[in-house]
Amino acid sequence: MTAYKKVNTICPYCGTGCVIECTVDTEHNRILEAKGSPDGVNNEGRLCLKGLYGWDYLNDPQILTRRIQKPMIRRSGKKSPLEEVSWDEAIHFAADKLKTLIRQYGPDCVMGAGSARGPGNEAAYITQKFMRAAIGTNNVDHCARI
Amino acid sequence: MSFSVPEIEDAEVIFNMGYNGPVSHPLVARRIVRAKKKGCQIICVDPRKTETARIATIYLPIKGGTNMLFLNAMAHVMITEDLIDHDFISRHTTGFAAYAKEITQAQYRPEAIAEQTQLNPEDIRKAARLFASSKHTITLWGMGITQFSQGVECVIACSNLSLMTGNFGHYATGVGPVRGQNNVQGTCDMGVLPNVYPGYQAVTDPEIRAKFERAWGVSLPAVPGLPLTQVPDRVLREPDPKKQIHAYYIVGEDPAQSDPDLEEIRETLSRVFVIVQDIFRNKTCEYADVIFPATAWGEHEGVYSACDRRFQRVRKLIEPQAGCKTDWEIQCLVATAMGYPMQYDNTRQIWDEMRSLAPKFAGASYEKLDSHHGVQWPCWSEDPEDTGTQYLHAGGQFATKDGRGNFLFFPYTPVQEAEDAEYPLSFSTVREVGHYSVRTMTGNCRLLRSLADEPGYIYMNPADCKPLGLTKDELVRVVSRRGHTITRCLPTERVAKGATYMTYQWWVGACNELTNSVFDPKSHTPEFKYCACRVEKIADQTKAEQYVKDQYAAIRRQMGITGGTSV
Repeated sequence: MTAYKKVNTICPYCGTGCVIECTVDTEHNRILEAKGSPDGVNNEGRLCLKGLYGWDYLNDPQILTRRIQKPMIRRSGKKSPLEEVSWDEAIHFAADKLKTLIRQYGPDCVMGAGSARGPGNEAAYITQKFMRAAIGTNNVDHCARI
Repeated sequence: MSFSVPEIEDAEVIFNMGYNGPVSHPLVARRIVRAKKKGCQIICVDPRKTETARIATIYLPIKGGTNMLFLNAMAHVMITEDLIDHDFISRHTTGFAAYAKEITQAQYRPEAIAEQTQLNPEDIRKAARLFASSKHTITLWGMGITQFSQGVECVIACSNLSLMTGNFGHYATGVGPVRGQNNVQGTCDMGVLPNVYPGYQAVTDPEIRAKFERAWGVSLPAVPGLPLTQVPDRVLREPDPKKQIHAYYIVGEDPAQSDPDLEEIRETLSRVFVIVQDIFRNKTCEYADVIFPATAWGEHEGVYSACDRRFQRVRKLIEPQAGCKTDWEIQCLVATAMGYPMQYDNTRQIWDEMRSLAPKFAGASYEKLDSHHGVQWPCWSEDPEDTGTQYLHAGGQFATKDGRGNFLFFPYTPVQEAEDAEYPLSFSTVREVGHYSVRTMTGNCRLLRSLADEPGYIYMNPADCKPLGLTKDELVRVVSRRGHTITRCLPTERVAKGATYMTYQWWVGACNELTNSVFDPKSHTPEFKYCACRVEKIADQTKAEQYVKDQYAAIRRQMGITGGTSV
């Protein structure tokens, strides 16, 4: 017997804030259907095209591009190839390079762009805290300007 | 938004300017239709005949780039015909006398700006009278106001109209910029901006800064940072290495597709150390020195802010793809590796830390979000009685030092690049209902992809197609001073003669090869809605079709896709 569950969440597309009721096949770890939830104050049970059908990318159908599943680095500059490495190596590679640049040019040589899409408010809070407290700059912004 | 989305349907007048709801926010557009059914009268100001224009009482097909001329004429009519709310103005605003003195000059008469705006002056007068006829007039605007080099001032000009007619501070009234992305409101709320901490607290305020320094145990910079759109300038044109940007950490963005003047962006990204943290391979990955795989919507928990300030919880639906980490965990790991330890067990710990530092959001606990279908900020107190704020400026109290709304006058500033003999058409970027932003998400949804695919269309008036001998679906070359791209021709009477439009999600037909990286001086928003271009006929269509196919295949290969066909 396949286990289905229904979960209410918020649409990842425009700023209307529609509540989506998703049916999830937990055994196969897939979304089966999305419907407008009557709990949605702004959508009252309705959804648009993107809300109804815009979850398929989670299944990674590889139409336009593909999910990234491993950290990658270029060891020696832009000309060198992207290599898959461990999380530990990628984190330290990035951290060491940032520290070196900050030592040389100061913290304002780093710019951070946060995401106004999937990650959400908690991740956004961490992005600005990371830039301000760990890097030491107010150079942090996102696509609201674009 | 000063009001809530459901209030739109109880408006008596909707002033819809530079906003194409049916395409960008279908479930907001539904409220506009419902308002109309309840008797609401709609004023639609847009150079294109949108679906909203079709149901409008008054449709004003404005010439692109002349918004301020029109808005000043609206104010001129309201004041000179005495359609204004004197009581509201005297009790709740400042600066009206100085503003009125400027705006009542003859140069702002509708008749005086008719030629430049290409509008009928009597229609402007009718629109002003209709706007001022109700205390339930709602203003909706979108990128058709903000993506101009005079964007911020036009936003203020819109607010002036609501101020002078008493359209603030009660149910079903006020102003509504409808936010484009699901969490662009939230990203602002959380202080992912160069000048404010979470909750719109200025980084320049010493007391506020001290509060964050105590909480985070570190000393913090006192000067505002750099807006994102200034990065190319600080990389390519800043002579002092100490003032240049040398590293760019990009979370869930694809500037190599989304930003203006892509040639300049590519040059910028190839000169700095780039960290990309994303769910999909995108164009920016080509320039990345480090790529961190992040979990996607559906694979993690969190809170989004809707356009009407409503915090709502986002739920994990499925287990993440192997190898991915949440965005917040990745940045905590990098911070820790740099010697500033950051560690959280879950999003609740982060949310609670944020609430303890941002008074406007302090009362919006997860529990309240769960039990009230979300909470609209401000929500100051954890007291169960404080369930948030449905509309702003209640009773005419504004979030200014003196609690009053300020009238500010601005003269018209023309667009930065007008049409000329070499580039005779105007060019604007627009949206498409089935696709979203740079398309990494919707372009990978089988059904949405089947609705529309590469290389997209350029919308042109038939009168502009005719001399070039262009027909529907024919591939054409579009050229601007920055670059060129290939797309298909779509003749339509919905757009005015001399004006062209392209949607911005296509990778082969990338319209940002054309756009101009000039900015509003206050918001640093690019002038995506106006530059000059020309359209060229391509003689060999067979070769052009093959070129599009090859380009699409090459991009897919670059993104790591091996199987399947595309176009």
